[in-house]
Amino acid sequence: MINITGVTKTFMTGCSEVRAVDDIQLEVSPGEFILIFGRSGCGKSTLLGMLAGLIRPTSGEIRIKGVDIGSLSDDNISGLRAKEIGFVFQFSGLIPTVTVLENVLLPTLFCTGGPGSRLRALELLEKVGVADRADAYPCTLSSGEMKRVAIARALINGPSLLIADEPTGDLDVDTEYEIMELFRQLNHEGTTIVMVTHNPDLISYGTQTYRMDKGKIVERPGSSSVSNRVPGPDCILKSKDLP
Amino acid sequence: MSKPPNFRFFSLVARNLANRPYRNLATIFAFALIAATFFSSQYMMSGAQQSLDMGISRMGADILVVPEEYAGAGQTVILTGTPSSFFFEDSGFEKISRIPGVAKASPQIYIATLFASCCAAPVQMIAIDPDRDFTISTWLKENPGVKLEKDDIIIGSSVIQDVGRDLVFYGHTFHVVGILERTGMGVDNSVFTRFEDAYVMAAESEEKAVKKLTIPQGKVSAVLVKVAPGTSPAAVASEIMTQVPGTKTILPNGLLNAVSGQLGATTRILYGASLAVTIVSIPLLGLISVLVAHERRKEVSILRALGATKTFVAKLMLAESFSLAIIGGFVGIGVSAGILVMFQDFIMHTLKIPFIIPSPIVIFVQGGSALLLSILVGGIASLYPVFLIIRSDPYETIRGGDS
Repeated sequence: MINITGVTKTFMTGCSEVRAVDDIQLEVSPGEFILIFGRSGCGKSTLLGMLAGLIRPTSGEIRIKGVDIGSLSDDNISGLRAKEIGFVFQFSGLIPTVTVLENVLLPTLFCTGGPGSRLRALELLEKVGVADRADAYPCTLSSGEMKRVAIARALINGPSLLIADEPTGDLDVDTEYEIMELFRQLNHEGTTIVMVTHNPDLISYGTQTYRMDKGKIVERPGSSSVSNRVPGPDCILKSKDLP
Repeated sequence: MSKPPNFRFFSLVARNLANRPYRNLATIFAFALIAATFFSSQYMMSGAQQSLDMGISRMGADILVVPEEYAGAGQTVILTGTPSSFFFEDSGFEKISRIPGVAKASPQIYIATLFASCCAAPVQMIAIDPDRDFTISTWLKENPGVKLEKDDIIIGSSVIQDVGRDLVFYGHTFHVVGILERTGMGVDNSVFTRFEDAYVMAAESEEKAVKKLTIPQGKVSAVLVKVAPGTSPAAVASEIMTQVPGTKTILPNGLLNAVSGQLGATTRILYGASLAVTIVSIPLLGLISVLVAHERRKEVSILRALGATKTFVAKLMLAESFSLAIIGGFVGIGVSAGILVMFQDFIMHTLKIPFIIPSPIVIFVQGGSALLLSILVGGIASLYPVFLIIRSDPYETIRGGDS
């Protein structure tokens, strides 16, 4: 479904060149839950940005469903993003001037002919557990509720891929668990997910887990240090309690 | 059952506008100011021009002959109806009638009235000879074809009284028999009676009025002249001044020039104000838009991440700006039109220009052009912010912090 081949991204900071992502090779099959973790600044968000077509790679190729997104025009990448990719941000990313239901419906503006509809939006809100807040404005929601609405919004056009950039970064432990369970449920229902996080406690949620450091993937599935623990609140809490 | 509609582009525009009321009200005010000044300038210009054209065409005369020393007063009587009394030493009326090229000549006596029940201020009474007059009776709005008989008067449109009712000037009771159509010029504030009744009114005034009125027997204030077809009014006017010393002739073109000078000064001020407001507003609105663009960078980046194209974002920003421009434009035009209509007479007297409300088509065109100017300014002011937003890196902005 996704083939990342030799992708590199360099940025200029002053006079020096920084290699944020360095020769990444990655394959994602349909139905997988890819979890990429690593310290802040290791290049995982840049990789995600390139996967979403928001950042152009300096070299290498990213193919989604066989389409080389590097060869697409900006408008075509936007179209692909609207139709095939759902995006969940670290912060809620809800538009403050429209209601919860309208926030969920926003991506339908960019994907005409897609499955998105008012009925589907209400169903998705029901699914993520905030149907009763459909007519509320984002400022009246809790962090967890905002995140649930953002997930519903990401799913409105029926994307084949859900991208999540540190989706639990600003949540308390209980809400983090609830949101991760929601992601796992979606994955079990067939949604392909690529998530990046700096929290190693979450790695057990991934069907494939990668660790990045200094722009490179340094550990892949099967590596001894990539944990395969059973996920759950105890696991998260135990880890959080560590000094 | 029909499928409920999805979220629409214009719903997003409307929500964004409605949920940022304070900033948008300030922007609407700026657009309203631009539209109001531009509309007012055009409205007053065309109102004055239309009034002048109508008034001069209705004057019906090719030449107005007045005493040399009262040329200015004569002009004012015609243009604004400011009451005035003056007389020829010797009108030479018979002489004027006999000058080659003069087809008709109609003498008039100008009398400034005292305060009357009809009017907030004294009006201009003009005594005419109904048998010789060719300028008044053809423009009757009410009771057309009526001829002035004993103690009858015809009144201008701004003199408040109905046909069949009475008006008292210098203690003399007159019977209103006709009302003239509105011209926006002096005739609107004038009343017309016969020579004979004017003389009787003057004779009675010592007893009946608070102030005695004197009208010298056999003397007139002005003579209106109609030239024969194919004759040059300028040539006849020149001949009149040569043959009748002490006279000054005023041609419609001369009136037009006199008013144009007055109007020109007013117009320059109005257009200057309009230009100044527009010039000041563009950078001001641009600054507001830039601030808003910075404030909304994250929001726009989210839209981009959700699949919005750069074109969509540009359309959204422009649609919001144009909506504010249209709302502001309508508010500005509506408010200024209301003020201009309500204070029409005050404006006319303050600026000393003739004025009539322009025709609906003219108002529509002027309103449309003021609205277009607002939209144009809105578009120009939005260009840089739209450029800024489109050029920004959405992912970098999204990663930049919380919304």
